[in-house]
Amino acid sequence: MIEITCNDRLGKKVRVKCNPDDTVGDLKKLIAAQTGTKHEKIVLKKWYTIYKDPIRLSDYEIHDGMNLELYYQ
Amino acid sequence: MGSSSGKKHKKDKKHSHRSRSQERPNRSLDEEVTLDLTDDLSSTRQKHHKHKKHKEHRHKHHKHKERERPSEVISLEESDSDSSDCVEVPVEQEARAKAREHPVRETETAREREREPSIREREREREPPIREREREREPSIREREPPARDQEPPPRERDPPARERDLELSAPPPPQISKHVDYERERRRERETDREREARKRAARDRERVRGRSRSQSPPAPAAGRRERERERERVRSRSHSPIPDNGAGDVLSIAETNKLRAKLGLKPLEMDTGPSKATSTSSSSNQQESKKSGMEKDLSSYKDEWGEFLHKPADNIKEKKQAEKLREKLKQSKEKRFLEERLARIRTLGESDEETDNVSKWVDRNKRVVNEREEALRKAKELEELDEAFGVTELIEQETKKARQLAYADRNLKGLRVEHDMDDFGEGRTVILTLKDQDVLNEEDGDTLVNVNMLDDERYKKNVANKKLNPLSYGYNVYEEQYDELGNPIERSILEKYDEDVEGQPQKRKNFVIGENLNEEREHRRKLLEIKTKLAGKHLETLQDSNVKLASDVFSAEELATFKKPKKKVKKLRQKLKAEDLEPIAELPSSSNLGSRHGRYREADDEDVDMKDDSKSPQIKLEEDDYDLERVLCKARRLKQKENIIKKPMPIDVAAIKRDIKPEPSDEARNSDGVELTGIDTNIVLNATAEFCRTLGDIPTYGMAGNRNEDSSDMLDFDKNEALDEHMDTNLEEPTLNHGTWNSVNPDEVMQPADLDNLGDDIEERAILDEEPDVGAGVANALRLALSKGYLEKEEKNRPSNTKMAHLQAKNYSIEDKAAGEDDKIGRRDRFHAGPIMDFKDKETFKPNVKLDYIDDNGRILNLKEAFRYLSHKFHGKGPGKNKIEKRLKKMEQDGLMKTMSSTDTPLCTLTMLQQKQKETKTPYVVLSGSNKNNAGVSGASISKFK
Repeated sequence: MIEITCNDRLGKKVRVKCNPDDTVGDLKKLIAAQTGTKHEKIVLKKWYTIYKDPIRLSDYEIHDGMNLELYYQ
Repeated sequence: MGSSSGKKHKKDKKHSHRSRSQERPNRSLDEEVTLDLTDDLSSTRQKHHKHKKHKEHRHKHHKHKERERPSEVISLEESDSDSSDCVEVPVEQEARAKAREHPVRETETAREREREPSIREREREREPPIREREREREPSIREREPPARDQEPPPRERDPPARERDLELSAPPPPQISKHVDYERERRRERETDREREARKRAARDRERVRGRSRSQSPPAPAAGRRERERERERVRSRSHSPIPDNGAGDVLSIAETNKLRAKLGLKPLEMDTGPSKATSTSSSSNQQESKKSGMEKDLSSYKDEWGEFLHKPADNIKEKKQAEKLREKLKQSKEKRFLEERLARIRTLGESDEETDNVSKWVDRNKRVVNEREEALRKAKELEELDEAFGVTELIEQETKKARQLAYADRNLKGLRVEHDMDDFGEGRTVILTLKDQDVLNEEDGDTLVNVNMLDDERYKKNVANKKLNPLSYGYNVYEEQYDELGNPIERSILEKYDEDVEGQPQKRKNFVIGENLNEEREHRRKLLEIKTKLAGKHLETLQDSNVKLASDVFSAEELATFKKPKKKVKKLRQKLKAEDLEPIAELPSSSNLGSRHGRYREADDEDVDMKDDSKSPQIKLEEDDYDLERVLCKARRLKQKENIIKKPMPIDVAAIKRDIKPEPSDEARNSDGVELTGIDTNIVLNATAEFCRTLGDIPTYGMAGNRNEDSSDMLDFDKNEALDEHMDTNLEEPTLNHGTWNSVNPDEVMQPADLDNLGDDIEERAILDEEPDVGAGVANALRLALSKGYLEKEEKNRPSNTKMAHLQAKNYSIEDKAAGEDDKIGRRDRFHAGPIMDFKDKETFKPNVKLDYIDDNGRILNLKEAFRYLSHKFHGKGPGKNKIEKRLKKMEQDGLMKTMSSTDTPLCTLTMLQQKQKETKTPYVVLSGSNKNNAGVSGASISKFK
């Protein structure tokens, strides 16, 4: 289990627990459950890389305690 | 004191948290202590804070404690887990959870937590000054504190203002402060460290107290409390392992909640064991730490400690590694050793007895067995073959192979294919892979052509290079292009052929050949070309197939002799002259089967024993040109010597010496015995008694003196001449020789050979000795010559400067000496020379010389005044006129000469005479001048001939 912090810098900051073998899409769903936004509207970024839904977190090398940028589309 | 304060707190607490459950008054009690310290804040939030702070303290404290007494810590753990401060938050949450079961609640708590730190800080800020003051004022009390700590709450725990007041009343002012500033500073430092320590201790004490209370009070509600605690534990667990610090976090869901959520979303539950916090047990920090420690060693994938700090991976133990390595090495070695030993054990050593080989019969048996096996195998193979034959298998196979061979693509298939490269490009013994050239599909008439891609590239490259080499200024036109190829055939070039390819779109005609067509002819042609080329290059072709090797021998074989060509001898005529019959009538000429003997010309002499001589001379048959030359030289030397001997010694005196000298001619020797006269075969020396006599009388004394003797070299030359002369003489005067018998006579005419004219004087002297007297009766010339030779007539000496020649230049009637002698008789000769200045020179009045100075240049021309001056000037300055000047002058001189020779009646080209001749020829008083060749031929021809 890893814990990831997602922050849009507009007031929403969530910590999400997930497995490293979850996909980014799963993570988005979890975030959606916590924040109340639709998961399709969520965009996760780190610097300029936009994380894509079907890819696993471990493949993106997202580790425990990492901070992802949360955007909406 | 403690009790009273406790009561007061209780009251406070009740007052503030009425809505809360009464389950744990102890808890609230504990809180009050700190609350009082802050003194103005009393909300739940603040309480919450306190707990937070406590938690922190706990961490520190535990570390501290652990160092001091680990056993105690372990004992304390359980109790701590029950009632420790970290439980507080969940309590609160619990309470709220009862009120509304919502996730929002949790977010609120989180927010509260967020707010906490700032408050806590404020609190801390406030605390220290108070404590400081307190400590400064009461060092003694502090000293006393530590032992009393455990039993009772310290005085500090009271309301600070009150405490202050007490202290103010009781404690006297410290005397040492004013005494020494330095000392005070030291103290202050000490105090600070003390304070820190105390703060830790205080926290520990508080907890202790709380623990004690909770111990006493926990039994009443065990079931509910346990449940609650378990839940809390879970929550704590879920929180505590998080790498994200609490204050930095936003919304958090617990693991359970997350799992629930995941179940709804259709995801698998969270994996708990992979998390970095392995310590599933409890909120007890010490246990966590321990498990952490062990976890670190086991699992290095977790790089963070419980507070989210990075931990360094522990360094590898090099010693252990080395040991392991050593052990492994040792094991490996022993394994190898075992293996080797095993192998060696199998090998038979030399000394070991071997049954098979030691026993003879066994050895024989074994060998037999081997042989038998071999024979068996052979027989079997034969049988199988027979079987195959019986069924016709071999034939089938052969047929198959034949067919396959026929079907296979072979040389004959390549026949007629065109290769688009020069044959020279294919080096001998080189393998070149050719491919079919790309062609139009419909273009079938051209047939297939083979090319090599690499060679095509090479050709293109060569062409490009050639193009690059062309001078761009001359548009690719090379003036000095070779007109002929290396064989001298003109190279045909079309006009502007470089554009052919571009214009016609056809590639240039390439050298090509067809495989298998007139190969032999081509080869022959090539060879011829090569030969011509080498001939042109001046080389010599050598075949490696050399002529058969022969054993070297000194003697010619019969065939060689047949092919051997005798060198032509000039002396042939001499032989005629010296015929044996002349000397002795016995001679029959030997057969012509004389095998090239160089002694051939002496053969006639020793004819008595031809056979014997042939035998003796057979080893000398070997004939060489050099030998011939050598012989000639030797002969000449001999003759010279003879001559000298003859000259030096009177004939009759030394016969033996002569014999010795002319040994090579045995026939002569035989004849010498009469001692009268001697003849060298090819010398022209003729001696007779009178000449000898004259010689001894006249010339011998002078001979040998300086200047009179002939040089050897000239002698040699003379003999050469004489030899030639002999031949000449022989051809001309065969008759006289015959008439005179054996003796040669010297023709006096021969003496005056034109070759001898140069050194006539010498010759005359020489001949005077040797030659016959000229015949006086023949003519006046001869008589004169005789007179000359005899000395009756003196020969005029050309070179001597004579007075008679210049006689006409001499003054006829005057000489200075005469005058001097005549005038001054008294004065002696000596005085005459010394009296110069004293005496004045007296001219002879009658003397009037007619002086005319003529200046003559190097060519003998008489110069005029101007030229004479120029000549003198050049001589004087040592610097002649320039080349141009000289030429100019020469031209002028020439012209002058021409002018002088020119006839006065004609033009320099003698046109007048020509004209007259022409007129005479044509017998007309006129001459037709026209441009036509016909008419002009005569005139032009005449003029041409004139010019020639």
